Amino acid sequence: MDAFGSSGGGSSGSSQFSSDDLMNQLKVQINQVYAQELLETVSSKCFQKCITKPGSSLSGGESSCISRCVDRYIEATGIIGRALFSAPR
Amino acid sequence: MDSSALQSPEMQRFLSQEKEKAMVNEMVTKLTNVCWDKCITGTPGSKFSSSESACLSNCAQRYLDMSMIIMKRFQSQ
Repeated sequence: MDAFGSSGGGSSGSSQFSSDDLMNQLKVQINQVYAQELLETVSSKCFQKCITKPGSSLSGGESSCISRCVDRYIEATGIIGRALFSAPR
Repeated sequence: MDSSALQSPEMQRFLSQEKEKAMVNEMVTKLTNVCWDKCITGTPGSKFSSSESACLSNCAQRYLDMSMIIMKRFQSQ
């Protein structure tokens, strides 16, 4: 990845990358952390719900449960967000 | 890196925005985790039932109410 400044490679002395570059880089990394966290939570919740008795391979029923579970979990995140921040209380 | 990039007003603004977003995100993440366990008791269907989605939003709002009560309780001690 070119994130940390081959663009500034030739210049000596002054700052190698602007605060815009830094902000963009931070945004990417922050979003990676959010995504990683969501992935971990969804995995643990859906494993709990869908893989109740692990067999020698994932059954079709388990796979479809997993994809429904992932969709519902994301939908639930939206519902909770709206309940907290945009619903009249 | 030139440290003045970190001191610039636009960077400060950016950081406080991201801090706020992180707090919101943390709260939503946490409540989704808790309320999912409370409200989604069966296997997830292709659509939430109306009682499931009502339970999720009630759960989030009641959690806030509860936090308020607990905070007051602590303050009065």
